[in-house]
Amino acid sequence: MSLLIKNAQIVNATGIAHGDILIEGGTIVKITKNIKARDADKIFDAQNKHVLPGLIDMHTHLRSPGREDEETIESGSHAAAKGGVTTLLCMPNTELPLDTQQRVSWVRETALSIGVADVYPVGCITKERKGKELTEFGHLKEAGAIALSDDGSPVENSLVLRRAMEFASAYNLLIISHCEDLSLATGGILREGKTSSILGLQGIPAIAESIIVAREIELARYLNTRIHLAHISCKRSVDLIRRAKRDGVKVTSETCPHYFSLTVEAWEERYNALLKVNPPLPEKEDIAAIKKALDEGTIDVIASDHAPHTKEEKSADLSEAPFGMIGLELLFPLSYTFLVEKGKFSLRELVKLLCAHPAQVLGFTDRGSIKEGKRADLTVVDPQASFVVRENEIASLSKNTPFLGTELKGKVLATIFGGKIVYNSFK
Amino acid sequence: MGWKKKHLLGIKDLTRDEIETVLNQAKVFKEVSQRAVKKTPALRGKTVVNLFFESSTRTRISFELAAKRLSADVINVASSSSSLTKGENLIDTLKNIEALSCDIAIVRHQIAGTPHSLSEHTRASVVNAGDGSNEHPTQALLDMFTVKEKLGTLKDLTVTIVGDILHSRVARSNMWGFTRSGSQVILCAPPTLIPKGIEEIEHVEVSYDLPSALKRADVVIMLRLQRERQTSHFFPTLREYTRYFSLTEASAENLKKNTLVMHPGPVNWDVEISSALKERLSPAILDQVTNGLAVRMAVLYLLSLGKEEKS
Repeated sequence: MSLLIKNAQIVNATGIAHGDILIEGGTIVKITKNIKARDADKIFDAQNKHVLPGLIDMHTHLRSPGREDEETIESGSHAAAKGGVTTLLCMPNTELPLDTQQRVSWVRETALSIGVADVYPVGCITKERKGKELTEFGHLKEAGAIALSDDGSPVENSLVLRRAMEFASAYNLLIISHCEDLSLATGGILREGKTSSILGLQGIPAIAESIIVAREIELARYLNTRIHLAHISCKRSVDLIRRAKRDGVKVTSETCPHYFSLTVEAWEERYNALLKVNPPLPEKEDIAAIKKALDEGTIDVIASDHAPHTKEEKSADLSEAPFGMIGLELLFPLSYTFLVEKGKFSLRELVKLLCAHPAQVLGFTDRGSIKEGKRADLTVVDPQASFVVRENEIASLSKNTPFLGTELKGKVLATIFGGKIVYNSFK
Repeated sequence: MGWKKKHLLGIKDLTRDEIETVLNQAKVFKEVSQRAVKKTPALRGKTVVNLFFESSTRTRISFELAAKRLSADVINVASSSSSLTKGENLIDTLKNIEALSCDIAIVRHQIAGTPHSLSEHTRASVVNAGDGSNEHPTQALLDMFTVKEKLGTLKDLTVTIVGDILHSRVARSNMWGFTRSGSQVILCAPPTLIPKGIEEIEHVEVSYDLPSALKRADVVIMLRLQRERQTSHFFPTLREYTRYFSLTEASAENLKKNTLVMHPGPVNWDVEISSALKERLSPAILDQVTNGLAVRMAVLYLLSLGKEEKS
């Protein structure tokens, strides 16, 4: 089975070229101008739209096993396809945590059988994410985990994290750290500062993140092992990571669209549980620092931190409403709108942050760029198309996003996963 | 007539005119309360629901009596006497009560913003009777009423609020009310009990030094201190706290002659205020309670006239 993509503006981190892409057996075999139609079983006319490498979202929550009312592997996979995401990592803080070989391989196998996105489960660092006993790293890797995290919680005990980092390095497993000092953060709802004080809500200070960022960096420096810092949201963290990278510490990091598109001041318009996210929405100066960090490479990756929650859960009072917002389907539009349309970034730089860099961080050599020999994971976008975020158009089972009703620019038109068209909105 | 609001969610949302309108209306109702026949038919046929998710006796009674004086029917729903338990969908609860055709819902909840969220989902008018650490608008209105009654103005005063500012909805509502009325507000507490960045608000300043904050004050509002704050490291011991932030005979020496000292009640004597000052300060504090009734009558009355618009 072969597929020929005609008339594509092929966007790589390194440049944009016009041409056709021939795919055979899930692999890109030829990229050149004017490939003859008779060479392929099927033709897909990209109509001169931009074709990107399939997006790699290294931070999502698919909620299975356990909370299938919020999301399933299937609905999450379709949300990914609709968002142009072809590879994603799902975090292990499911109701039944992914701390055993069986659960990890169940997620991986389930996703493979659905076959619309490449889902890699992240395994727990510690059993039941309690921060006490390590999981069986090697077994989890064999079951399909390529990274480990206790995401949703930090590994509070520095010795436990030290052992985890040492042990993981032997298997080349990436440790992803959720940076949060619980003693400073617990009970808080939004970033501490003028807004939290005006609203009379308990704040979470930015240092709850940066203090743990500093600890993780010190451990990585001392042990000379890798660490990846999830959902970075504040200027001080950025400053610490910049310094560490300059010193040669093996640290990588990610941020999420809501940390460069919304500020904590959004709360002043309305008490709105959809704005409740952890880490909390930043200040203006954090956004400036995060954009700079993305530009200079201090922050490597943009990930969605897709966190589905039901309407019922989000309509509880603000202390009980859970943290998080969905993001798989808005990863590209939000990044495009706020970094390219309203910022100084180019589409090529977005491809770096959404495709090339996450591939590098995760050690994938078969994806992240559009080249002969790479996997045929492709995302067709129209950067000029704008649309309003509507609840009934969201594929995810949960609709919790503060961007409902917001007009965004940059639309995903089609997604090709392993040479197969898994999403297509072309007429 | 400067009132168009459907809900009273916070002083922060009120203009100076709207505050004046409530206070003027309260003055009328205070006179009514001093008559032999204290009841007026203003809310006859209307239903008022006290929806208290957090226990309260004083505020609830004050609202209940205010509604009854206006001839409204009153239902009390309290967390102890109903299914208002943790995790219950608040909107469902309100919808259920609304189905009984309630006109005004008076809501108290331990989390900031809950009355606001409820107001988006009901046809009834919502009165915030205290939401977490955010606002307690009728308390501030009665404090302002008392100040105006005793000092003749709300403008160009220095109002010192002392105590647990961080967790106090009374402090926030008064801060908005007095700054909006053209006065200066000093928030006085140890740094642990001052919300971050609050001094960025116009006409608000922060002081850690009680004597100097008292010296400048035309009005002092002493806040109630909850003893359990000690366990969360907000202060080392009660002894340490009261030594520096309690109004005692010694620290009261700093007060100007005509300074009005208030307290939202109930006072923890010898914590916020030394019991040696009880006789001197109690009358004014009880006046606040009396005024609270008039102010709440005014609020219920004005809301019942309020237009059907989303505030």
